[in-house]
Amino acid sequence: MIGLGNEHRGDDRAGLDVVRAVRARLGPSARTVEGPDDVTDLLALWADADRVVVIDAVRSGRAPGAVHRYVLPEETLPSRLGSTSTHGLTLADAVALGRSLGRFPHRLVVFGIEAGPVGMQDGLSDPVARAVAEVTELVLSEVHGPSSRPRGE
Amino acid sequence: MTERTIAVDYLARVEGEGALKVRVHDRKVEDVQLKIFEPPRFFEAFLRGRSYAEAPDITARICGICPVAYQMSSCHAMEQALGMTVGGPLRELRRLLYCGEWIESHALHIYLLHAPDFLGYPDAVHLAKDHPAAVKKGLELKKVGNHLMQVLGGREIHPVNVRVGGFYRCPSRNELEALRPELERALGLAEETVHFAAGLTFPEVEEDYEFVALHHEHEYAMNEGEVVSSKGLRIPVHEYEDHFEEVHMAHSNALQSVRKGGGSYLVGPLARYALNHDRLSPRAKSIAKEVGLASVERNPYRSILVRAVEVVYSVEEALRIIDAYRPPAAPFVEPPPSFHASTGASVTEAPRGMLYHRYRINSDGLIEEAKIVAPTSQNQKRIEDDLRHVVERGLDQDDATLADYCERAIRNHDPCISCATHFLTLDIERT
Repeated sequence: MIGLGNEHRGDDRAGLDVVRAVRARLGPSARTVEGPDDVTDLLALWADADRVVVIDAVRSGRAPGAVHRYVLPEETLPSRLGSTSTHGLTLADAVALGRSLGRFPHRLVVFGIEAGPVGMQDGLSDPVARAVAEVTELVLSEVHGPSSRPRGE
Repeated sequence: MTERTIAVDYLARVEGEGALKVRVHDRKVEDVQLKIFEPPRFFEAFLRGRSYAEAPDITARICGICPVAYQMSSCHAMEQALGMTVGGPLRELRRLLYCGEWIESHALHIYLLHAPDFLGYPDAVHLAKDHPAAVKKGLELKKVGNHLMQVLGGREIHPVNVRVGGFYRCPSRNELEALRPELERALGLAEETVHFAAGLTFPEVEEDYEFVALHHEHEYAMNEGEVVSSKGLRIPVHEYEDHFEEVHMAHSNALQSVRKGGGSYLVGPLARYALNHDRLSPRAKSIAKEVGLASVERNPYRSILVRAVEVVYSVEEALRIIDAYRPPAAPFVEPPPSFHASTGASVTEAPRGMLYHRYRINSDGLIEEAKIVAPTSQNQKRIEDDLRHVVERGLDQDDATLADYCERAIRNHDPCISCATHFLTLDIERT
């Protein structure tokens, strides 16, 4: 479970807050990651994972707090999703690169939480805080989800 | 219509974002404007009043791609101001950390940002579909560089272990020895990268650059040396501002760095290679020769080859340092017990070229003034000159093709526009 974002920029911390909440519920054996800063490093993280969940704040014009969910490889990520680095490589690029290179989990679920303010401020806006709680539950149900593979390996 | 404007709103595959406008009148290139917004100015302002010790950590935030370069230049500049010398194993560890940054930065540029240009792909994702092995190689090299930075720097991005005087903690021999296997593998990958680059097709172009780089008597310069140029300049670092100045261009917020009394100049791998070729390691030298690189390369498209040779060098140098490493008695040199008003300057070689820092501190050890000149700021004018030539040669092309040529010409120099910072869109006005 990978949370992307910047905890100093308002709602951009949403992805980080979700993985922290998940880790609090599942304990230290949960495979949670905050970051990476470089989107290409996702490929290394995915390399030995069967199922991966990525959570990030997004801006797509919907109301703050709206939750997007994509299940790959069946679905396609919108190309502008999740730009975290100045290389200009987005999460969608990492997905495409991973697929081209055969470095892709069997199941990748991406949760996008529509952000409100992402300026230099502390804390989440109310709708996004509610969305973080909602997505935390969704991620936990992914963890206990379709596969019966035991957690904590 | 004899006025022609070509616009590229978003330059792809460069670090950061930027804009370009070219005006052509009656088939004559009237004006080339590279518009870049400069954030180091803000850093220079908010460094004032901070402790000298904070400079490495604060300036590292100027760039997420080359944080080590900022840490190195700031440390050396402060140490000069404080009259400190950092030698022995600490000096070697700094080179080792820099090797990590050169490896990861160059590998990323070669494979993900530059190679697509030569192989006809719009981006690395498309390149990866047809050439997965090549892209995997690049990512693996990048990972080795990042790992080295993480072991020595404590963190991949904005290392936390660097301080004025050295490091907060030095690695044990075992910790560095553990990197050996992946570095040995990286050496093979780096050599394959040189061969990969040598197999690309390059436009036949030669530019009359004034190359400027750090030069050291015994080593391929990274942290220490004199500033030298291919037109005969040879000066100690603290005289940098006597020979280079930043000029405010009316058309943009950017300050361009130029030779005083002269014009544009070029820093970066081509400059380093031309001015330090004989300081390369044996294997780097021989592989350069093997693929037909002369001791000076003036074709900007072939910079990809030179970067690849620098990756070979960096891996070899990393192995050399690791083999010779004996942990120092203390992880850092103590700063002096008291301060006085003083100034210190430094140039170190970021992956993209010379990075200049100068600080004035007061008797409390607080920064009163800071000046930072990034490599891409220094290359801006020279990149504009390259672009002028590209447009002159390509006037018969349609706007879209010409815009593409311009983007490629910019990518040759691996600009880190984040450092110079801005947004780059291309706008060619033809009248």
